[in-house]
Amino acid sequence: MKATIEVRINGLTRTVEVDTRMIAADLLRDELRLTSVHIGCATGNCGACTMLLDGSTVKSCCILAADLEGQQITTIEGLGQDASELHSIQQAFVRNQGLQCGYCTPAMILSTLALLSTNPDPSEDDIRHAISGNLCRCTGYHFIIKSIEDAARQIHNAEQLGA
Amino acid sequence: MLSREFEFHAPRTLGEALELIAADDDVTVLAGGMSLMPMMNLGLVKPSKVLSLNHLGVLDDVSVEDGCLTLGACVRHACVATDPLVLQHCPSLSAAARVVGDTQVRNRGTIGGSIAHADPSADYLPVLAAVGASITLTSSIGNRTLSAAEFFIDVMFTAREPSELVTAVSVPVQPHGWGASYERLARVEGSFAIVNAAALVSADLSSATVALGGVGPRPVTLEMASYLHNGVDDAALIAVGDAAYEASEHATGDVMSDGEYRRAMARVLACRALRRAVESTVGRSR
Repeated sequence: MKATIEVRINGLTRTVEVDTRMIAADLLRDELRLTSVHIGCATGNCGACTMLLDGSTVKSCCILAADLEGQQITTIEGLGQDASELHSIQQAFVRNQGLQCGYCTPAMILSTLALLSTNPDPSEDDIRHAISGNLCRCTGYHFIIKSIEDAARQIHNAEQLGA
Repeated sequence: MLSREFEFHAPRTLGEALELIAADDDVTVLAGGMSLMPMMNLGLVKPSKVLSLNHLGVLDDVSVEDGCLTLGACVRHACVATDPLVLQHCPSLSAAARVVGDTQVRNRGTIGGSIAHADPSADYLPVLAAVGASITLTSSIGNRTLSAAEFFIDVMFTAREPSELVTAVSVPVQPHGWGASYERLARVEGSFAIVNAAALVSADLSSATVALGGVGPRPVTLEMASYLHNGVDDAALIAVGDAAYEASEHATGDVMSDGEYRRAMARVLACRALRRAVESTVGRSR
């Protein structure tokens, strides 16, 4: 069965015909080539498929594509204004080596974005709590947490300079 | 991509949704999808028709009226966790919502979906049993309201008929001065509770309810006030723990935690929940 949906993806309104068997991650990866969205488990455990849905992190493996009608989606491809410059959270992950294989990284960064938007100065506990839905099997999390702390500091400093 | 074809319906009104399930008893209801979608991805559930409740535009309100806090079935866990009315009038429900799954799950999953799924380890179940919640079921004919004890029948099995939707959950507004708590035991944050417990106590301890989850096919509710005549002393906690252990006789195990372990943990969690609830009472001399 086919369904036609209108969704706003990374700032662009798209009308797409989807197979109702498609999960949101299939739509993003296979139809729209937003391959930052990774499917690790398809059971809602690993969080590698995290996307922002109307500004909140959700797991795109556990949402039907046809159910996205009328909603706004952001993936890491939609972060920042200019594709040539990394977002400050991405820069912090690079600086602190907050990744190894990179499979979990886009989702980690979206979870960081969601965390820092409501809690600009998170404690280590806050960070661990916030990324508990994102599994990383390489790093042991230590450098990811350092990256997030660094990102929070950098964003805070940039705001101070801006003000 | 799921392998099996199914019809997908995403009605814009509750009336349309009810009509659809009135005419067909083979419709699988999709709310947040945090349990259903993994099961579909794994091929454990192969629905022929899926009804999404995500576009109804109703059932997503929290309100207080006539001494009752009511949450629409489509209220998402993140909202249950932070809504000021829930925090004020049923703090143990907020506490349970804060630890459901992880951030992403809480942003999508709904209280109605969790209740209708009725996993015996779900965080809400002991809270709803302890606070005396009622669950509203709606069909095209009308509403009926059941207590938690009537609604939860067995493992992932409830009193909901195929022609009904869970539309609301209501709990009595917690009286001033009363205390409530929610406690869970899990291997890591985000994993299902092995055993969980909720408590609701009056400031004078003349009423003290503890409900346990994970120790049988449905929540177990216990009245503990008779053990608390001398307050929450060591003897009282031993009696409370014994009562929790006895009431958990139907606990079955899995590979990580057998039934006897769950019963032992029920003892601990019941005491912990009761103590925390008593600590949160107001106006009680200790």
